[in-house]
Amino acid sequence: MSNVIQATNLTLAYDNGTKEIIKDANFAIKKGEFVFITGPSGSGKSTLLKALYGQLKPREGNLIVGGHNLSNIRRKKLQELRTHMGMIFQDYKLVNEWTVAKNVVLPLMIAGYSNEVQDTQARRLLKHVKLPEYADKYPLELSGGEQQRVGVARALSKNPVVILADEPTGNLDDYSSNVIWDLMENACQQLDTTVLVVTHKIPTIFSLPYRHFIIENRGVYEVH
Amino acid sequence: MKFIKNHLMFILPLMAILLGIEFYLIFERSTDTYETKLTQGYTMLVVSKSPVQLDTFQNLNTHISSSSEVNRDEIISNIAKGMSQDSSNSILAKLPYFYNLGLNLYLNSDELEQIKSDLKADSNIKRVETFGTSHASKYKLFAFIKFTLETFIIFMMVVSFILIVKQMEIWKYQHKERMQIMEIFGAPLMLRAGVLFRIAFLDAIFSTLFISILFMYIKFSWAMDSGIDLMIEHQEALFHASDILILLCASLLLVVIAVYFVVFSSKGVKE
Ligand SMILES: Nc1ncnc2c1ncn2[C@@H]1O[C@H](COP(=O)(O)OP(=O)(O)OP(=O)(O)O)[C@@H](O)[C@H]1O
Ligand SMILES: [Mg+2]
Repeated sequence: MSNVIQATNLTLAYDNGTKEIIKDANFAIKKGEFVFITGPSGSGKSTLLKALYGQLKPREGNLIVGGHNLSNIRRKKLQELRTHMGMIFQDYKLVNEWTVAKNVVLPLMIAGYSNEVQDTQARRLLKHVKLPEYADKYPLELSGGEQQRVGVARALSKNPVVILADEPTGNLDDYSSNVIWDLMENACQQLDTTVLVVTHKIPTIFSLPYRHFIIENRGVYEVH
Repeated sequence: MKFIKNHLMFILPLMAILLGIEFYLIFERSTDTYETKLTQGYTMLVVSKSPVQLDTFQNLNTHISSSSEVNRDEIISNIAKGMSQDSSNSILAKLPYFYNLGLNLYLNSDELEQIKSDLKADSNIKRVETFGTSHASKYKLFAFIKFTLETFIIFMMVVSFILIVKQMEIWKYQHKERMQIMEIFGAPLMLRAGVLFRIAFLDAIFSTLFISILFMYIKFSWAMDSGIDLMIEHQEALFHASDILILLCASLLLVVIAVYFVVFSSKGVKE
């Protein structure tokens, strides 16, 4: 089966390339795989995700996502590629002047779905993340964990090909965490979605087979 | 409240710029007529030994647009009252030819002196009287007023533009986060900046309409009732229908520049 993500000799750096975060990484991820990424704080987990959604260009090497080389991808193509990705951010990145429902359906809005479709999807997804009463509230009226679940709902709203999740359960108790893991397992299993999850704690109860990468000392290693 | 303030901070400087443009247009139009009048009202006097045609004058200097001969018989009949036909004929034979020359432009006294020396190069021409000083003082006052007003208009427009840019920076700050999040999820520019464009276009159209209606009111109602001669005289120059188009284009252009400024300075950070 084809690789959805492939990194060869990938080097990522900040500050005009002077601050190296990841060096000479090689890995490939196939369609439908579930990947956990762990590593110490500041090791470059979020940085790797940033590179995967095209916000940080590789300094050296190649990073190919969905058949596009992110080193020289055109702006229009990157825009299109991003509409097939579901991102979940460590800092949520919700639009504070929008209602929760509107935040959830941002990917549908970008894709041009009708208001009715957006409405029903928002309702359905908010039920899935156990926030059915929150559609008309604003993000700043929600607790951290609730905002995080809105972020998860947004990432899932358009059935993305790839989910890139940065600490999606970082602020959640065990019950809510399990709700999130279930949603991701379902997406992976039923829709063949490729899922990359950065987390500091791999869930103990996890029914799917998964791969595990560790980022440490600027390297990306797979644990077998 | 915040919404209104937000709009006013954009609409007011925009209207100031439109006002400047409209004033400039009116000013150009009414000074044009004034300038033409000054030019038409002015003539210089030339005295020559023999008759001279207009194209001969024009060959000497291209600013000369008309010439009219002062009727010699009238001069004779004034000075030779009661003289015999013979003596008046001999005076007529000795009498030089007088011409009033009109110009095609409003010229300052240096330029008038230039015309004078050009004309005098022809040996047939005996005297040139430019009436330079009274002409020059009128012209200088006119040029001074024109310069002052134009400087003021430009100054006002520059200050207003700076205010618009400042307001844009506030908008940028308000919209930056949302536009960046939308960009991460692959929203095209028009969608990301949609709200901004909508607000800005509405403001542009509103400002244009407001200024247009204001000037139409001044032209068709206030000018007549004002009793100010200058206003009544120049009523036609006050507002033209084509001004609406000029104002609309100007405000839309400003708005597009402003919005693009916000959008491009809010693009995702490229590390
Ligand atoms: N925009 C930036 N410019 C410069 N350096 C940055 C930038 N963002 C992150 N860094 C640095 O890159 C390194 C990796 O950051 P990153 O956010 O990827 O860590 P992380 O593994 O996600 O950590 P955590 O588990 O705490 O979220 C850190 O040392 C951080 O200071
Ligand atoms: Mg991180």
